[in-house]
Amino acid sequence: MSYYLSVGEAHRRITEYLNRFSDAVQSQDGRSLKSLLSVSSPHLVSLADALLIFQDWGRLIKNSQQLNDVLQHHLRALHSFRTGRFIDAYNAYERSANAFLLEFRNWESAWAMEAVYAIAYEIRVLAERADRELASLGKTPEKLKGAGSFLMKVFSALTGKGPKRVGALYVTCQLFKVYFKLGTVHLCRSVIRSIETARFFDFEEFPKRDQVTYMYYTGRLEVYNENFLVADQKLTYALKNCNPRSEANIRMILKYLIPVKLSVGILPATSLLQQYNLVEYINVVQALKSGDLRLLRHALQEHEDRFLRSGVYLVLEKLELQVYQRLLKKIYIIQKTKDPSKAHQIKLEVLVKALKWLEKDMDVDEVECIVAILIYKNLIKGYFAHKSKVVVLSKHDPFPKLSGKPVNS
Amino acid sequence: MDGGGGSRNQGRSSRFRGPGNPSRSSRSDLRPSLPGTSDRRRPPSAVAENPTVEDRGGPFIGTCPDMCPAKERAQRERLRDLSAFERLNGNPGKTSSSLAVKKFCRTISASEMAVADIRPLPVLQDTLRYLFRLLETSGYQFEMVHDFVFDRMRSIRQDLSLQHIVNDQAIQMYEEMVKFHIIANHKLPKNSDKSLHHLNMEQLTKCLISLYDMYAINRKSNSINKNEAEFYSFYVLLHLGSNSQGDSLSLWFRKLAYPIVTSNEMCFARSLLRYFRLGNYKRFFSTAATEVSFLQLCLIEPFLNELRALAISYINYSCYKLHSYPVAHLSVILMMKETETESLCEACGLEICIDEDGNRFLPTKQTGFSLPRGFQNYSFQGFDRFEREVCSFDLAI
Repeated sequence: MSYYLSVGEAHRRITEYLNRFSDAVQSQDGRSLKSLLSVSSPHLVSLADALLIFQDWGRLIKNSQQLNDVLQHHLRALHSFRTGRFIDAYNAYERSANAFLLEFRNWESAWAMEAVYAIAYEIRVLAERADRELASLGKTPEKLKGAGSFLMKVFSALTGKGPKRVGALYVTCQLFKVYFKLGTVHLCRSVIRSIETARFFDFEEFPKRDQVTYMYYTGRLEVYNENFLVADQKLTYALKNCNPRSEANIRMILKYLIPVKLSVGILPATSLLQQYNLVEYINVVQALKSGDLRLLRHALQEHEDRFLRSGVYLVLEKLELQVYQRLLKKIYIIQKTKDPSKAHQIKLEVLVKALKWLEKDMDVDEVECIVAILIYKNLIKGYFAHKSKVVVLSKHDPFPKLSGKPVNS
Repeated sequence: MDGGGGSRNQGRSSRFRGPGNPSRSSRSDLRPSLPGTSDRRRPPSAVAENPTVEDRGGPFIGTCPDMCPAKERAQRERLRDLSAFERLNGNPGKTSSSLAVKKFCRTISASEMAVADIRPLPVLQDTLRYLFRLLETSGYQFEMVHDFVFDRMRSIRQDLSLQHIVNDQAIQMYEEMVKFHIIANHKLPKNSDKSLHHLNMEQLTKCLISLYDMYAINRKSNSINKNEAEFYSFYVLLHLGSNSQGDSLSLWFRKLAYPIVTSNEMCFARSLLRYFRLGNYKRFFSTAATEVSFLQLCLIEPFLNELRALAISYINYSCYKLHSYPVAHLSVILMMKETETESLCEACGLEICIDEDGNRFLPTKQTGFSLPRGFQNYSFQGFDRFEREVCSFDLAI
């Protein structure tokens, strides 16, 4: 398109942009400023084209122009972005963003919050593209890390007592995205602490959208640390409050909420798994229902890469104990149909045979070990007798349900 | 805490280059002759004959031909700062180029460091070989050799990283150094100073992390280094008992390349992890006794007693009250001597009884169980397979 752009038209577009920018700042119109400060959004393409034609755009920015530092670097970023030079675009954008932050700090009110959101988002996305370019050149990708440091600066500019506080959660979420991508998740801790210990700002006062994202990420962190109760609480909050029409987001949340629920003994309906295309969990759930240890292993093996990547593999592996519990319960039920008076005594040999049938080679000692664990963790009520090699189940509630609580450690 | 080893003893804390060295600073008459300080005040004309790393700007190759730069050697002779292994005929003020090995020194800036004080790769390889030979032949107590080798190896790594050497040879050196720390973890006397183990583990972790970086730099498309999977699996075994401290293993696995995660070595480490996390003591101990390598065993050794104590608590809680659990059988499962099992039960606050025939039993459903804070040094029968390895260091570069 830029071929057909006359110099005059280019000049007109640039001055128009500069005027709109001035107006937005003058009238403290954060929403307009937001759209003027993005780089990747398509509506600035025509301006970017104009910059390519009218090379001398720098002189159009008057020294008296407010935020002229911001503008200089921002236009350079746009220019580089349009020509596909993302490293350059990032570097210029970071300068522009820093200059903006300097001004923003001095403003009493939070009128420019929308613009800060745009910058926080843009700098992250731009950094990712710049890093891809760096990697393709055989260089070390380092821009996303840089964007992380910048976002930390924004975060600290927001966390005071004033009205700007409302933006802290959005920036936190952008930081989470950076840290999760970089694999430096431990850096989330200080930000979380700052959000969760703030006395003068109620979490509910943050925008809903940011609350949901925040709960999603912190919930995931709790999954990795196997704090199932807290994870359940956070992810459930995210699920309840997210946009019900956004299937993709619901799926993302369920991907972590399901293993958490399984860990506390709550199984999802197969239809739910199908609706949100979480079929990788179907056999895991089936294994829990049927006490099929072989099926659990196969399900974990089949989707090993996916589970490891999302970080739920070790959580799912721990379900093994619940599958043992189910297996014992099945044996108990079968025995009950044959001889109700002796059903509560299960010979360890019977368990060995059942496991052999499930292609799991275990001797009596190992089965005794598993039973000891199950009793200790209150998945079975009763005791085992070492000499007679038998488990004696309690007559009352021999297989307590977890019903929302994690397995005892 | 880098350089934590420094405060361990006098020998290590005497950084010959450090300007504010506590142990030497009182001898102010000596300070002007310290290499570090003299370098800094060097007249510009000296640059050409004795260039520093800073002068070189970019990458450089050190020119020190010996295990220890001549200047440091002279310096330490004068200060009588020579380790027992460096003294010529036992003379605390005399050493030689075949005995002295460059000490680790924490704070060096590029402007203070002469290229002549940095050893190039072949010299570093020779130095490491020399240190490993010393481990085999010195005849000194292991603790003492470890102390020396520990420090001198850090200095080797420092020289490697200053010259940005990350090639296959450097990888191999790192791998051997990792092995040294793993084996040392087993050989360091158990009842001695806890900080010895701690410092050793700290360097082990650091070496491993650097090694992983080097693997990543050298990774060509989809192929992985021949030992990469094995050394990655060590990380899992080091963190068997990691309780949720931020960077959980779940997060760590997310970052691993798929060929590594699915390698035989990693799968084996992951199965040990599964047994451990599940509490399956029976399978854990039987696997540890028959299938692990010596290095793997050294790595999991610190977790053995923890799991044994857990096993005792499971059995105590779950076993029929009227049938006491035979200690002999418990010993077989926990792979320790009967007397040790008895002592461990007692350390857990449980009583042992003896029947008329002299057999020992653990009466179950005792209420006094408590997890001991520390453990005595109990044997593990799995080590019997490695008689040769236990006695020697099988390291080679």
